[in-house]
Amino acid sequence: MVVTWIALLAAGLGAWSVAAATLPLPDYYLPPPTAVLAAFVDLTAKGILPTYVFASLRRILLAAALGLVVGVPAGLLLGMSRRVADFFYPLLNFFQSVSGIAWLPLMLVWFGFGERTILVAVNYTVLFPVIFNALLGVRSLPPLYANALRTLGAGRWRIVRDVVLPGALPSIATGMRLGLAYGWRALIAAEMLVGAHGLGFMIFNAQSFHLTARIMLGMGLIGLLWVVLDYFLLRPLEEATIARWGLVQR
Amino acid sequence: MKTLRGLAPFAVLVVAWEIVTRGGLVSALFLPPPLDVARTAWELARDGSLWVNLAASLGRVLLGVVTSVPLAVGLGVMVGLNRRVAPVVEPIVGFFNALSGIAWLPLAITWFGLGWTSVTFIMFNTIFFLVFFNTLVGVRSVPRTFENAVRTLGGSRRHVIFQVLIPGALPSIVAGIRLSIGFGWRALIAAEMIATSTGLGFMIFNAANFHQSDAILVGIITIGLLWLATDRLLLQPLERRTIERWGLVSSQS
Repeated sequence: MVVTWIALLAAGLGAWSVAAATLPLPDYYLPPPTAVLAAFVDLTAKGILPTYVFASLRRILLAAALGLVVGVPAGLLLGMSRRVADFFYPLLNFFQSVSGIAWLPLMLVWFGFGERTILVAVNYTVLFPVIFNALLGVRSLPPLYANALRTLGAGRWRIVRDVVLPGALPSIATGMRLGLAYGWRALIAAEMLVGAHGLGFMIFNAQSFHLTARIMLGMGLIGLLWVVLDYFLLRPLEEATIARWGLVQR
Repeated sequence: MKTLRGLAPFAVLVVAWEIVTRGGLVSALFLPPPLDVARTAWELARDGSLWVNLAASLGRVLLGVVTSVPLAVGLGVMVGLNRRVAPVVEPIVGFFNALSGIAWLPLAITWFGLGWTSVTFIMFNTIFFLVFFNTLVGVRSVPRTFENAVRTLGGSRRHVIFQVLIPGALPSIVAGIRLSIGFGWRALIAAEMIATSTGLGFMIFNAANFHQSDAILVGIITIGLLWLATDRLLLQPLERRTIERWGLVSSQS
């Protein structure tokens, strides 16, 4: 399998090089892979690339942390009472449908072009699907389990720990995955529009100067970082729910 | 009654919004009162600009769906059928899936310039890879037993494809389509802000330049309502019907 991928990668890079060398297009349309590599070496040596990667990662990880620490408990709490959940459900559904990027113009009016606008837009984008799905997870639990525990004399805390939390976990994992997938894209878009550090800013800025190799480098990193994020943050969360509670269906 | 109860939270929100803005807690420049927003919506609807932008955005979503979904499903089924190619292709599609959307915009502008070609390219990219991926995964996750059962009963390869694999993959395909349009909408709004001079994304971004918070809010609410309407009236029923049709409802969810 690994051999196949390496062969495919080599074939892809070969075809790309040949196309870049032979196609009658201006150089900036399709720079060869070597130019992308050169851009990587150059930007890393100058220290620009690590700064931008770090800036983007910091923003998305902050949003992920906020989602876990604030979004999940908030969703669980709101889901605990049927009345409260019924009230907030349509509101949350509406706000999670409006992407953070649609709020960006209003954030620009409120906070101007700066870090705060990016952070608000990204955190908004991550937070709402997380809260919404946590609430949904609690609400879709059959009351049977909680009642069974209560009959056996369990207190409120015990029900939260043994029924609500584990029962809502698959839905929470879904919410985190969706929220962060939306959030990562919103972050790239926000960085393009607001333009303050980050990979989104890098590729957008490079476009103005026809530095296509930089665009491709940035795109490769954006894809790669998401794969890494998915692998180290979201998969473990989902796998914990599959392995432990056997509840995730694909 | 049920819709009424669904609307009540929004009424509460609007009243709170009214109180906060009329009470002078927030400047109207930042957050105009609901009535002002309603008036702006009325004006934008009357001079036609809201409809023009709305039609532009909807048309782009539609164009993206029409160009990418048939191709993605076709290719997904074809690749999914081949047990040796599928496991190789899956992670590659997964990678492009991770990259899909707005990250392609700078390259799209370099290749196609500002305008609808770039936006269509973004939409195609976003929807295509997600649907392709879900179709592929869907076809591959159909248990071999079903296929073998049909074969044992004398079914041909055609029978297997059209009566086992495609129906079995349908729930995954439809879920992919629904998800991809969600991602597509978001990518579209961002792309319109940068690469076009029509559409709801452009409308609100342009309004920000003139600090017209009321017009921005009209746009945000329109975007939210449009997506909710598409999802509720079109995609969710489609998904539900597919799942019910093939008896794949699980007791867990």
